[in-house]
Amino acid sequence: MSTVKTGGYFRSFDYLLLLTSLALVAYGIILIYSGSLGSYGSSSKALADPVARQIIFAVIGVTVMLLISRIDYRILGYTAPVLYALAIGSLLFVLVFASETYGSRRWIEVAGTQVQPSELTKLVLIIVLAKYFTDRQERMTSLAPFATSLAITLLPMLLVFIEPDLGSAVILLAIWFAMVIVAGARSSHVLGLVTMGLVALPFALIGMINDYQRERIATFIDPEKDPLGSGFNTLQAEISIGSGRIFGKGLTHGTQTQLEYLRTQTTDYVFSVLGEELGFVGAMVLFALFVLLLMRGLRAASSSRDPFGRLMAVGIVTYILFQVFINIGVNIRLLPVTGIPLPFISQGGSSLVSLFVAMGILQSVRIHHPPPEWR
Amino acid sequence: MLEMPGRNKRRWRSPKREAPDESQVLRDKFFYFRILVLFLFGILTLQLMRMQVFHGEAYEQRAESNRLRIVPLMPSRGLVFDRNSVPLVINAPHFAAGIVAADFPEDKEAAMLPILERLLNVPAAEIAAKVDEKRDSNDPFTPLIVKSGLDTETAFTLRQMQSELPGVKVIVQEARQYTAGPLMAHILGSVGMVTKEEYEDEGLKNEGYAMNDRVGKTGVELTYESQLRGEPGRSEVEVDAAGREIQTMRSEAATPGSGVVLSLDLDLQSKTAEFLQAGMGASSLAVAIVMKVDTGELLSMVSLPFYDNNALADITNEQLQALLDSPGKPLVNHAISDTYAPGSIFKQITGTSALQEGIANAGTTITSYGYITVKNEYDPSISYIFRDWAAHGTMDFYAGVALSSDVYFYYLAGGYYENGREVFHGMGEQKLAEFCREYGLGARTGVDLPGEADGIVPDPAWKEAQVGEPWTIGDTYNFAIGQGYVTVTPLQMAVVTSALANGGYVMAPRVVRDIVDPIGKVVTPFQSVVTRQLPISDDNLEVMRQGMRQAVSWARGTATQAAVDGVAVAGKTGTAEFGPDLGGGHYAEHGWFAGFAPADNPEVAIVVFVERGNGARDAAPIAGKILDYYFHRQ
Repeated sequence: MSTVKTGGYFRSFDYLLLLTSLALVAYGIILIYSGSLGSYGSSSKALADPVARQIIFAVIGVTVMLLISRIDYRILGYTAPVLYALAIGSLLFVLVFASETYGSRRWIEVAGTQVQPSELTKLVLIIVLAKYFTDRQERMTSLAPFATSLAITLLPMLLVFIEPDLGSAVILLAIWFAMVIVAGARSSHVLGLVTMGLVALPFALIGMINDYQRERIATFIDPEKDPLGSGFNTLQAEISIGSGRIFGKGLTHGTQTQLEYLRTQTTDYVFSVLGEELGFVGAMVLFALFVLLLMRGLRAASSSRDPFGRLMAVGIVTYILFQVFINIGVNIRLLPVTGIPLPFISQGGSSLVSLFVAMGILQSVRIHHPPPEWR
Repeated sequence: MLEMPGRNKRRWRSPKREAPDESQVLRDKFFYFRILVLFLFGILTLQLMRMQVFHGEAYEQRAESNRLRIVPLMPSRGLVFDRNSVPLVINAPHFAAGIVAADFPEDKEAAMLPILERLLNVPAAEIAAKVDEKRDSNDPFTPLIVKSGLDTETAFTLRQMQSELPGVKVIVQEARQYTAGPLMAHILGSVGMVTKEEYEDEGLKNEGYAMNDRVGKTGVELTYESQLRGEPGRSEVEVDAAGREIQTMRSEAATPGSGVVLSLDLDLQSKTAEFLQAGMGASSLAVAIVMKVDTGELLSMVSLPFYDNNALADITNEQLQALLDSPGKPLVNHAISDTYAPGSIFKQITGTSALQEGIANAGTTITSYGYITVKNEYDPSISYIFRDWAAHGTMDFYAGVALSSDVYFYYLAGGYYENGREVFHGMGEQKLAEFCREYGLGARTGVDLPGEADGIVPDPAWKEAQVGEPWTIGDTYNFAIGQGYVTVTPLQMAVVTSALANGGYVMAPRVVRDIVDPIGKVVTPFQSVVTRQLPISDDNLEVMRQGMRQAVSWARGTATQAAVDGVAVAGKTGTAEFGPDLGGGHYAEHGWFAGFAPADNPEVAIVVFVERGNGARDAAPIAGKILDYYFHRQ
């Protein structure tokens, strides 16, 4: 197990998973190109800046993925405590030192690029929880690991929530939920917690949500109330997507996108560019790619006999699924505004590299612990 | 790792005996996980379908109305010329700072307002309040003019700062620049921004005006608004989110306004003003009008003091109030908007009426001893004295006019009684009032300028209603000489004088001759309007004309100061008393002159009015100088 035959590596490698993720990145680059035409004025500049950067990050991402896929993922288990400490440390650092953009503190500068610790924290939490659950496999039905793992999750969740980044906090919780269920927690514990959560939710809404979040929720309910102010983005995204109709207005021909009615159109609202320019059909293609990717991820999880690998794969699938759902949900006004990038599609280096790290882990899970029927 | 499947299975089994097969549990979990994935994407798909498939058309319309904006193209306002085609107004380009409220980001307001305050010198709070109001209105796209009359440098700076100041625009407007300035201000009037009241209550909204439009407020600018304005065009422009215009999709050019050619003669107007100014002395206000007797065209019409209509465009409320309160009320066109007692120039009406009524003829003689006495109708022990301005002796009709004898006209209107016996039969106040109305007094002349006053033609019913006292013989005597309750505008007297001169046609006076298209071709040619024909024979009018000629030409006449070498001037002075008794039967006086020339073939009528002046000493010489210039200029 400690060494891998070259033939085995290539046989076990999930090419469909790689192709799907590359297709998504390519799709994203096309949308970023179209979305940045308006801001950069000419196609050459749009190509030069955001598109080139995204391609560079994609290349870095794929390289990292290939490297990780060669490494036995179980090594990651040993680094879990260090990773967790680093993640918590960077979240604290952001809260203390980073400056606010769009009303929240999420970014730190590393070597000239902006890094979002909350993105990295999601991956770290997946590794940490997988390690924790694997080590306590025999005792998973008792309350102690259930409660402790929740505490492990709540600490970064709280820090992310303070930024404030409600979306990422929800995703961290979702990751824990999916992993603790797959790890074998007692259903009575899970149901008990859900019940408690539902009871506490109204109080949490009143007590914990600050003005920033309250405004976002008010805007979500009625963006027309302040169509030129806080409701602007929500409303314009909705108009962009709706006006794309079935076939879209054509790439680079979306009036909302090109005339900049849509803001942050290469990051949080990149889906609105797709909705406007490529329409319902374009969105269905994207959904198909995501569903395919997630199914391949679940396949890696379910076919793995190693609980550590399985749990990490489950965490990764949950992470991507909820990122996608929340991002698109915000775009199409199913959910209140929260800044979550669309995996593989949104412009942004740290998100893209994190995702390829996740892809590398999935590949490694398949390669280093192949399903029994292949042995 | 090469264990038997069976044993292996046992090893993985959970300690709880009743627990189901563990791998089956896991398979179930992953099955539900796959369902969850499909379920979440299903929700997204349904919402997308709702938006893009079912409501797509409505969203498409909203996207269209986002990017397309209808921008009105303002027509060039028509120009105004004097009767000799001298331009009186030009449309000068003029910069204004405007804010499109919809494009003015609320979250950047805090940063932008101080910049605007500094650049435009308009308090930030004032701008913010206006923008807020506009944002909440149903038309946040029409630029809000924050400051007009920007200098070129500020306009240039604003343009350069476009990217820092989204929604702020430099708007190029056409501003009216009146080249003759104060000289024509009362005639041309001014334009100004459409007010809320005009827009909503007075229906400008329905005539295609926008709140930022300029509209004629006074003078010719107001009366000829529909001709001067032209037809606005519109263009459909694609704009980006910051309000920058990307491209024009469609456009419909504006039709420029028609030009207006005045009947006024700038040269004569200027001389009229000059002579009036010089002759009015310390008076606070004065009027002179020269009118063509056969057409009603006004050749000059000067009301002093002047104001500058160029200064009205950006006047502050304080400055406006100061102008309104300043002596002589410069904003008022006293020629048409103010009424005064006509004094002796009213005797033309009394005289011609009496001739027509057969009360008198050219040979009727009356003797003035300098006054007549009248006993109180209810208490004969009280008697009143009505003075003549001199004891003229015995006069025929011509002499009565030329000498402007009050007693002569007391007789004509009120008759004369000695010891209760009527020695001279007068025509009575009712008849006189009727003739006044025939001449056009008590009603607007119909001049093509706004703000005309009616004046008063008194009669017993009027006095009963307005003063609450019965009419007395004394009222009739005062009425006969243009004193008491009767009031007129100077323009009404110019119309009266023209009617006397032209054989009885009461003309509607006009300041505008022709409407011309932008290249100067006449579209609507001038047509004179006869309001009424006097029920007075030309023979009777001729008697009055002779009397007026003698007033100027006869050495004893009252209007000799109006004589002009080489031109036979006919005319009559008037000195009207007004206001309270200043002691000893003395009153403040207005000076009048009303006349025409040449006497035998009248061409122009002239009326001069000098507030707190004297007819013979002040008004007549001014009229003489104006007529001299009119007939002798080359």
